Amino acid sequence: MDLENLWQSVLAQIQLNISPANFATWFANTKILSLENDTVIVSVSNSFSKEWLEQKYGKDILKILHSTDENIKNISFVVDPKKTKKTMGGKKSVNKEDVLTEQLGFKELEVNKETNLNPRYVFENFIVGPFNEMAFAAAMAVVEEPGKNYNPLFVYGGVGLGKTHLVQAVGNKIKEDAPEKRVKYLPAEKMISIIINSIKNHNVEELKKNLRELDVLIVDDIQFIAGKDKTQEEFFHTFNSLYQKNKQIILSSDRHPSTIPAITERLKSRFKGGMIADISSPDFETRAAILKQKAEEKNVDLPKDILDFMANNIQRNIRELESALNRLIIFKKANNKSPSLEDAKKLLKTIIVSPSKITNSKKIIQSVTEFYDIPNGNMFFVSRKKEFSRPRQVAMFLLKKELKLSYSEIGRKFGGKDHTTVIHACQLIEKTAEEDEKTHQEIELILQRVYSN
Amino acid sequence: MNLTILTKELKKGVSITERVTGKNLTLPILDNVLIEALSNFLKISATDLELGVQWWGMCKTEKEGKITIPAKLLGQITGSLSDEKVNIKEKGNTLVLEGKNYKTQIKGFTADEFPIIPSFSKDVFIEIDARKIKDGLMSVVDMVSLSQIKPEISGVYFLFEKDLVRLVATDSFRLSEKVITFSNKQGYKNMFKERVSFILPQRAAKELINIVSDEEKTLRIYFSESQVLFETFLSTVNHPEINLISRQIEGEYPSYQEIIPREGKTKITVNKEEFLRQIKTAGIFGGRTNEVVLKIAAKEKEVEIFSQDADVGEANLNIPAKIEGSSLKVSFNWKFLIDGLTTIKSSEILFEFQGDDGPAAIRPIGDASYLYVVMPIKL
Repeated sequence: MDLENLWQSVLAQIQLNISPANFATWFANTKILSLENDTVIVSVSNSFSKEWLEQKYGKDILKILHSTDENIKNISFVVDPKKTKKTMGGKKSVNKEDVLTEQLGFKELEVNKETNLNPRYVFENFIVGPFNEMAFAAAMAVVEEPGKNYNPLFVYGGVGLGKTHLVQAVGNKIKEDAPEKRVKYLPAEKMISIIINSIKNHNVEELKKNLRELDVLIVDDIQFIAGKDKTQEEFFHTFNSLYQKNKQIILSSDRHPSTIPAITERLKSRFKGGMIADISSPDFETRAAILKQKAEEKNVDLPKDILDFMANNIQRNIRELESALNRLIIFKKANNKSPSLEDAKKLLKTIIVSPSKITNSKKIIQSVTEFYDIPNGNMFFVSRKKEFSRPRQVAMFLLKKELKLSYSEIGRKFGGKDHTTVIHACQLIEKTAEEDEKTHQEIELILQRVYSN
Repeated sequence: MNLTILTKELKKGVSITERVTGKNLTLPILDNVLIEALSNFLKISATDLELGVQWWGMCKTEKEGKITIPAKLLGQITGSLSDEKVNIKEKGNTLVLEGKNYKTQIKGFTADEFPIIPSFSKDVFIEIDARKIKDGLMSVVDMVSLSQIKPEISGVYFLFEKDLVRLVATDSFRLSEKVITFSNKQGYKNMFKERVSFILPQRAAKELINIVSDEEKTLRIYFSESQVLFETFLSTVNHPEINLISRQIEGEYPSYQEIIPREGKTKITVNKEEFLRQIKTAGIFGGRTNEVVLKIAAKEKEVEIFSQDADVGEANLNIPAKIEGSSLKVSFNWKFLIDGLTTIKSSEILFEFQGDDGPAAIRPIGDASYLYVVMPIKL
């Protein structure tokens, strides 16, 4: 007789002797946890039930147990409150009125303490289009058999295109399918601070042990470890140890691994060892689909022509789509009516028109130096070293292309270079950008930096 | 049972225990209190199976015994007693209260049906200044989450460290923390080697505030696997007066330290009372969303408070302030601001902001023990 049947037979007999209210109060959520030697251990939902069953029904229960199984001589009760826990989930019904303004909450509380994953990021609300289908397919393959298919999975793409959403969704899905798996999500910045702290507190060994016992390690924005030598070293060893044990590693970055500056070659080659999937900018249909879903999440109705207008005109990233949507929602709230297409055009003018033109030479140069991780000022030195000359050429090219500065003006900015040098640089970069996909990507990413924030 | 007790004492015991009982349809016995005559003590117990309370009062006992009595009835009767002393007897299942010129009989039940309140091993405990815990709890207890979706924040978090105690409550929109520090272990004795922490349901926390009287000196805290026991003592003899037993909330409290913002980008220092008054006024026009807007301009000497409701009207208010950092326009739920401000006792407060969508912190000036963090409303 298994434990469940054994306990059922006890309940069936006890029930005859006490009132239904008493029975429901004291015997709800009870079960036999184990039967070892001659002792039965019964779990109850709270301490009151424990005291009551022990003192009032202990003997009766034992008698019944003994009559079904002569070997049972003892009984003990333990409190197991988890059994009473309510099941989580269920969609909250949101009041339409309340959605117009959003009371912000502490994001930290939503995050799962063990995995560090945010439960909001799941595949159900991840929209797939031509721009990200490869990354999505790779992610699904990883979910199916973590550690086997693509290891590491390296996802890259510009800001606000859904990298974090995708990698967290993988983590959440793996955890959902196999709750026993140890999944950990770490933004690179957090990883760096954890490693620094552990060095400071002299418990590096403990950290190593923790990281190496994981089944899935997800590191977001891995490009931030550029220039952090100690972190890179620790990460390198963790990476190897996980990889050898066929544990899944997922990385995300804003650029292709070979263009991340200031990380060691051995790490670069490992990043490239699995699957590299890129996420580019969404096309019109996908943007429209994303807008539709965001509007649904926020529970607002907007006419289709407005949504199409937004999808058509805001192309760069998904975050901007969302902020545009928020503007319309504020308008709706303030005026108590849906915006017309004309209103929308007026409201979104600043988002749509301005940013592409508002920039300056300082910002471009800063973005380039940041992107290539060159110490400030070094780009202006007269140096033929490739690590400086190429960024310099890229910066010249961008100054010409984006700001339409004159060649000689650009030359003056770079320590009085001759305008022919500048012309050469611009032509060179333009040509390579056309022929070489990698350079093209680099330029795109730098431009994104220039125009983001 | 046969005993004589001061009416004042009996009233106190009944009022303390009565609160824990309630209407319980499935188990009517829970509407009752258990009355026990022990040698030298009258003990009254009540429970709703989440919370249990036991009270002891000195009395002259002639015969021991016990009975359960409907709590509400007993409360009504003791409420009208005026004699100095009262004699309590039990006849069958009836409780007889007798004085010089009255005699009442209350129908009760046998004590056997009354739930057993879990017992604790009392070897290891924390002993602490009762007033300080009470004051600390009062300043955080209202920020507890009322929703059961995340059970671990539906209670007050107690963290006992070496020479300080932290009380924390949050409902995911705001968070308050009170740190009670004890210098030289005065008023604090912790027998545990490790840090001890637990999450106490809000109701138990409110009950604890209620049972700790203003004259109370020490409070002892004991633990069992899933329960916690708070104990106060009689002032005259070395005997417990009240035991409050509650379940602990299962689960791990979120790492709330991560929420607390570092130094703000914009800071204002204002007079608390005036700020509170202005926020209340602005709240009248807060509308359904309870939204009030703070407009802070760098280098100005005033903060503008604005609120507007399409149907009611609008308010434009100013408050003198010391402003540091960058300009900012940020909205809050005015009720959340009031909740934080009313728990602060200092005359001035420092309000620090992290932009219009980051957590803002309110700190009393000259009192580092309290902190209130609140999230803005995003348009």
